[in-house]
Amino acid sequence: MSVALIRAEIAKMRRLRTGIIVLVMVVGVTALAVLSALSSPDFSDPGTRSWAALLAGMSLAVPLTSPLLLAVLASRQVDIEHHGNGWLLFQTSGATRGGLCRAKLAVLGAVVCAVTAAEAGLVLLAGIALAVPGPPPLALWWGYAGAVAVVNLVLLGLHILISARVENQLAGLGIGVLGTLLAVFATGLPPLLAHLTPWGYYALATAAGYRDGELVTFVPGYASIAALAVLGGVLFAVFTTRFDRREAS
Amino acid sequence: MSSYIVTTDHLTKRYGERAVVEDLNLRVPEGCVYGFLGPNGSGKSTTMKMLLSLIRPSSGQVRVLGEPMTRATRRRLLGRIGSLIESPPGYGHLTGAENIGLVRRMLDLEQRQIDLAVRTVRMQDQMDKKVREYSLGMKQRLGIAMALARQPKLLILDEPTNGLDPAGIEEIRRLLRHLADGGVTVMVSSHLLGEIDKTATTLGILAGGRLLFQGTRAELFAAATPDVLIGTADPQRAQALLSGQHDARIDEGLLRLCGLSPDATAQVVSHLVRAGLGIYEVRRQEQSLEDVFMDLTGGGGL
Ligand SMILES: Nc1ncnc2c1ncn2[C@@H]1O[C@H](COP(=O)(O)OP(=O)(O)O)[C@@H](O)[C@H]1O
Ligand SMILES: [Mg+2]
Repeated sequence: MSVALIRAEIAKMRRLRTGIIVLVMVVGVTALAVLSALSSPDFSDPGTRSWAALLAGMSLAVPLTSPLLLAVLASRQVDIEHHGNGWLLFQTSGATRGGLCRAKLAVLGAVVCAVTAAEAGLVLLAGIALAVPGPPPLALWWGYAGAVAVVNLVLLGLHILISARVENQLAGLGIGVLGTLLAVFATGLPPLLAHLTPWGYYALATAAGYRDGELVTFVPGYASIAALAVLGGVLFAVFTTRFDRREAS
Repeated sequence: MSSYIVTTDHLTKRYGERAVVEDLNLRVPEGCVYGFLGPNGSGKSTTMKMLLSLIRPSSGQVRVLGEPMTRATRRRLLGRIGSLIESPPGYGHLTGAENIGLVRRMLDLEQRQIDLAVRTVRMQDQMDKKVREYSLGMKQRLGIAMALARQPKLLILDEPTNGLDPAGIEEIRRLLRHLADGGVTVMVSSHLLGEIDKTATTLGILAGGRLLFQGTRAELFAAATPDVLIGTADPQRAQALLSGQHDARIDEGLLRLCGLSPDATAQVVSHLVRAGLGIYEVRRQEQSLEDVFMDLTGGGGL
């Protein structure tokens, strides 16, 4: 993929209010995660405060906030091509439709990774500020953040493809809303069912939660997440290559 | 090699069973303004997209700038072809300058080239405005500037005057002449002859996906037979007399016959005279280019 295309995508981001969406994502997840931890009975007594409660809060906040905002992020970056006749403009400069989509994923993907890292980092800082006793489980913490980043990237890629293929952006946003429901309900589903949609993988990444009324940490389903990463990457490559061959309309 | 900058051989595009462009043999001379005319839906945009390799021909070849235009050569050739297809491009949330900056980045151009293109379309005072706030004419001009920035040998403009007011159309015409004087070959399409006939030095006329005529304006006049007008005392009777052999219409008291050869004209006149009709005048009507175009394309209804 060409550096020129990536730089062009960054230039197009001006005045798209990507920054605001990013801010909403980071603040939303952090605030929801911390509030959810604070409202749990374990957190009322500073002595029994636990990192697990914060992780559980994040595992709740991420699937609730991310799917729709990822859809919005992708839609804004893609819709400008439909409105500005940008596909054709770039085709006449030698770029392809698929190439544009790949550049968009690269640029927005970097943003989404930074967002995910910021969310995990801010919740960690909140834990330190709230004087949670004991050292934070850093390996689990960043392992969880990495797993979430993968799910975020796969969903971002999916939404870039939908927004590029279906000109009416309500389609992508509708799927984002549906995805939020799937992501939230997947937490209560048996893991087998959670594997069926990409949104379900937020539940598979979960690092802490209640089991039999007891707050415990889990090992995220790294193998499942890795499989999702491979499958998502291959499908994105296949579909954007098909876009390359697709004719201008 | 040849003095043609664009040639196509048996160029055809089918969507399903339907041929949208059929057996097109275009010859665009280098350095000309080539007016590509045809009613809406006649296949102008489809043809131009094939010239740019934006869509693949179902059969036939395209040669541009002396090379076959294919997916393999496209990228390199497109660097020397400026184009504006269908509606003008432009990201509404960016300024004119930011938009053309994208083209500069993509094609690795110099700011000097950008400035020249912007001045050529006289947009230098509008570049800090957002494209969303542009009028259609400004968008067209920005689109042309984006196409011109690469200093192309060939400029392909698809209906650049569409939707513009007369002043805007005149402005584009002047620009095309200016570019052609500077050595750029311009291929420009329109569904209205009047919008480009004074600018174009070569015409290609398309209807229903087929090329009906290609050549200079003088050749076009020569190719079309002007209508014969006959003034007679009793046009109704004359029409009745000729019915079955000729399609005669009564037009402002005169009998109008189209597509009549000189021999056929003589026959018609002697037939009417023998029937005892007084003939006051027989003449051929001077045709405007518009009439020729309308005749060829069937009044734009094809
Ligand atoms: N992708 C497509 N699929 C099917 N038909 C098409 C497609 N693109 C264009 N056409 C048809 O081809 C014909 C010519 O279209 P076009 O080249 O846009 O004409 P023009 O530019 O002369 O108005 C039209 O009837 C149009 O409906
Ligand atoms: Mg058209």
